[in-house]
Amino acid sequence: MTTELASSTHGAAEVKPARKARHMGWMFGTAWLVVLSFCALFANQLPFIRTYDAKVKVAGQAKQYGFGPGWTAWLGTDNSSHDVFARSIYGARETLFIGIGATIIGLTVGGLLGVLGGYYRGWVDRAVSIIVDCLLAMPALLLALLLIQRTDQIKETITALGWLTRTEEITITLGILAIAPFARIVRAQTLGLRERDFVLAARSLGAKSRRVIWREIMPNLVPAMVTVAVTGLGILIAAEGTLAFLGLGVARPQTWGTMIDAARDDLSKAWWATIFPCLFLFLTVLSFNFIGDHLARKFDIREAAV
Amino acid sequence: MRYFLQRMLQFAIVFFLVTFGVMIFMRIGMNKPGDPARTMLGGFVTDQKAAAVNKQYHLNDNLFVQYFYWLAKMFRGDFGISVQQNITVANYMKGRVLVTFFLGFYSLLWALIIAVPVAVYQAYRRDSTFDRAGNLFSFLFVSLPALVLAPVIIQLFVIRWAWFPRISEKVMPWQDLGGHFKNFFLPVVVLTLPLAAIFARLLRADIVQTLQSDFITLASAKGVPPSRVLWTHALRNSLFSLLSSVGVQLGALVGGALVVEQYFSMKGMGALLLTSILSKDLFVVQSVTAIVVAVVSLANLLIDLTYAFIDPRIRHARALT
Repeated sequence: MTTELASSTHGAAEVKPARKARHMGWMFGTAWLVVLSFCALFANQLPFIRTYDAKVKVAGQAKQYGFGPGWTAWLGTDNSSHDVFARSIYGARETLFIGIGATIIGLTVGGLLGVLGGYYRGWVDRAVSIIVDCLLAMPALLLALLLIQRTDQIKETITALGWLTRTEEITITLGILAIAPFARIVRAQTLGLRERDFVLAARSLGAKSRRVIWREIMPNLVPAMVTVAVTGLGILIAAEGTLAFLGLGVARPQTWGTMIDAARDDLSKAWWATIFPCLFLFLTVLSFNFIGDHLARKFDIREAAV
Repeated sequence: MRYFLQRMLQFAIVFFLVTFGVMIFMRIGMNKPGDPARTMLGGFVTDQKAAAVNKQYHLNDNLFVQYFYWLAKMFRGDFGISVQQNITVANYMKGRVLVTFFLGFYSLLWALIIAVPVAVYQAYRRDSTFDRAGNLFSFLFVSLPALVLAPVIIQLFVIRWAWFPRISEKVMPWQDLGGHFKNFFLPVVVLTLPLAAIFARLLRADIVQTLQSDFITLASAKGVPPSRVLWTHALRNSLFSLLSSVGVQLGALVGGALVVEQYFSMKGMGALLLTSILSKDLFVVQSVTAIVVAVVSLANLLIDLTYAFIDPRIRHARALT
């Protein structure tokens, strides 16, 4: 009896610091995201953020990389003497918008495909699997490059699509990329749920498939979907950065990827103009990963490779 | 065997749909049948020249006919020409395939070499300082895409301390072995770290789970030494996520290689793809995507088959459905 007690307290003492460290991770993530979104949302109002086009001048003249990180411009100035900090904040606004939009597209389409495939099985499932396999067979970045580049040209010939802005194009493209992983995870979850007793109960009460899907299965999918969406957001933001880096980004406002690309050849002259946008990207992706992991633990979801 | 056939069929369907899809997608937005040639040639071209290219590559026929002409040529090893660079696609890719191959191969190899022991030890000493440090580092590295890691590494090791030259020339191992490793070291580091982190996380979670199963308890109770339990019993039964993730990451590696090649100005497949997509070099895009898709899917197929070989449960479970 005493030995059992001793071992259990010993176990608790061992686990505790680990749990605390984990809390710190996701609390840090939430804090960073809250501050970042706050600054991004109210960038125009907040006094300590310069406007997007404000030039920080050295003795009255705009100078390339005029300031290093310091009091005048917190994170230095870039090659057209804009404030790196201000631009990063405006970039955050754009990036978060794109990321969230793409996640919504991916969740809606992917989730729908996944639920249908997992619930109906048979040929529906097969069709869904083929779509998912095709989307996964193409390396994601390659697919994104193709989609964006082509939409640009298609817009020229098919004028009906002319209203699409670059931001929307990128959002849709990333949304398409997100479909396959979402569909896969939702399908796997649905496969498990449809064998559960409450589904059987609903069916034996005479519920139609549509009702079973919407009222019985969907609510149970929410935790998994939220978890995957948060982790996915991090990946999508990194993807947006990469696309921008390769020259397929939004021209205005610049996002982090565009800033990195613009300054990377001058790394030796002005490291701050590249490294700070990198830091923003890194911290944001890290935050989403921390929060995603926390949610996965909480809802007990085995993370599928996204 | 039935499982094998099923997977082959699946591969064939996916390959067909993707390549055909890419082909159609490349043609959308071109009004006249003669447009593909004009787009590829770029700028102002005489009608005669456009017509000649169209005829040579059957660009006036309907899409299905074109597709099969193209596919038949692919199988004979004729990947078409890059009209803009005025060389055959095969020649265009020649030196570049190896650069990207080495990048991918080394990073995958190192990621596995690092991730497997780390994950095994983490799972073995769960919640120890080592485990927690490992978790933290894997979080940090997972969040470091090549886009972010490359400039930091260049800033530190190339510019600040100048330990490595900024790469411009491709150096093959048979030309200069030392130079080869020197050239590839930093790009491979950039690709390896996030990859290793992903692998370690997946493998650790799986081993932790496996270690709780009865057969592990039995093995330990029988007196099998812990290292043997860990490395043979537990590891072998925990490989599923890791292996399937290797397959998924192969595709991501193509993207990562693209970014790294840009940063380190290496002449690899990524740079080629980027240029050809941006300049609408039809055949290059079509052929190279086909090759990439084939390589990635075949590797995935191989991984699944390997796993079915390692773990008979998979083989039987899949064959039944």
